[in-house]
Amino acid sequence: MNVPIRALGIATSIFWILLIAFIALSAYSFKDLNFDLGEPQFTTAPDGQLLFSLPLHIYNRGYCSLKEFNLSTVFSDDEGAEISRANTFVPVIPRGENVTIFHNVTLSMDSVLENDAEQYLFNDNNLTASVTAGLTFAELLPTQISTNFTFPWGAPFYNFALGQPSYGRFDLTHSAVSVPMSFENHAAFDLAGDIRVELFDSGGSLLGESQTQFYVPQHSSYDGNLEFHVPLSAASVSAAHNGHFNVYFSTPLFEYGPLVIPYG
Amino acid sequence: MVEEKKKRKNIVKDISFRVVKATLKAILVYLIYFLLAPVLAPLFGLIPGIMESIEAFVAVYIALMLLSDLTERTIFQYFFSTARALFFMAYLLFSMGNGVISTSYENFSLTVNLTLFYTIAMTLSLLGFASTILQAINFMSERAEATSGLQPPQKA
Repeated sequence: MNVPIRALGIATSIFWILLIAFIALSAYSFKDLNFDLGEPQFTTAPDGQLLFSLPLHIYNRGYCSLKEFNLSTVFSDDEGAEISRANTFVPVIPRGENVTIFHNVTLSMDSVLENDAEQYLFNDNNLTASVTAGLTFAELLPTQISTNFTFPWGAPFYNFALGQPSYGRFDLTHSAVSVPMSFENHAAFDLAGDIRVELFDSGGSLLGESQTQFYVPQHSSYDGNLEFHVPLSAASVSAAHNGHFNVYFSTPLFEYGPLVIPYG
Repeated sequence: MVEEKKKRKNIVKDISFRVVKATLKAILVYLIYFLLAPVLAPLFGLIPGIMESIEAFVAVYIALMLLSDLTERTIFQYFFSTARALFFMAYLLFSMGNGVISTSYENFSLTVNLTLFYTIAMTLSLLGFASTILQAINFMSERAEATSGLQPPQKA
């Protein structure tokens, strides 16, 4: 009976040594694993969606390959409603290799503006990003890391304002009304489109309409004037000293309106 | 008289051999821990309190191993060996729970699924436990044979 017992003991010891060596090797390899985030890039897709691309560099200098690398991000607004979800899957990252992965997130402006459009169009805000990265380390140890962070959202029409209308004569029947318009594009993308403004008097009658095209690169401001031609009559001119504007925004990414701005 | 002196000398020699053997084994185990601890530190550093718990575990494990080696060729050797195997299994059970370790650092949360490692370690501990029980049974049966004067049948 001595021999089988001894053989059992020896076999157990050998397996223990192998297991401890494997764990030590895995832990040592973990030390040589580096992740580096590149510069995120925003682009606009032709179908009117916003593409957020995040380059992720993985330097696997350890002794073990990484399997089933999965990166998932969920963007949600300040009320917790999900705006976008994206997954990136890499089957194998071999040992001793550097891999660059592009994690692409598609943000639909319709989803962003769904709950509170004015909050995101005219005010800077924060989106919440939940990031989860999982991988199987050394073929044996499934590992997952997750974090939440706030992602700054720059308003494309930050501080949008229409100034007081100034009146001038256009011709015998119409007067020219000029309205200064300004905003800052705080968004991470260039903005191009049309703005259409309707001018209403205090009685709610439409006096005139103006439309302007704009192109505002990211992080720059816009200053311009809108011209209206209002019929020249005593009643209409006196009524036009106060009233409201209805503003309609049209870009390849979204349509929004009317935004009602009183004047006078 | 001479024979008694010789017997006493043998006992002293035997005990000193056991002490030396136990000390060497304890030093070897501690040396393995000493060498592995810095390697495992980056992984275990993420889990608060695990290194202190491992230190306590190594201390108790070495103590039980020393006692087992010092009481060699007595039934107490198997008591201590069994206690060591049970202690190892209990430590694994309490420290690892269901095998999924989760820890948080600042805004990050890390989850490591050690179920497979846990299963292998538990299986090996059970094998170790079974081995000590078998050794104890073997020891007792050999001693019973010796006291009764019965010898196992010799092969022709």
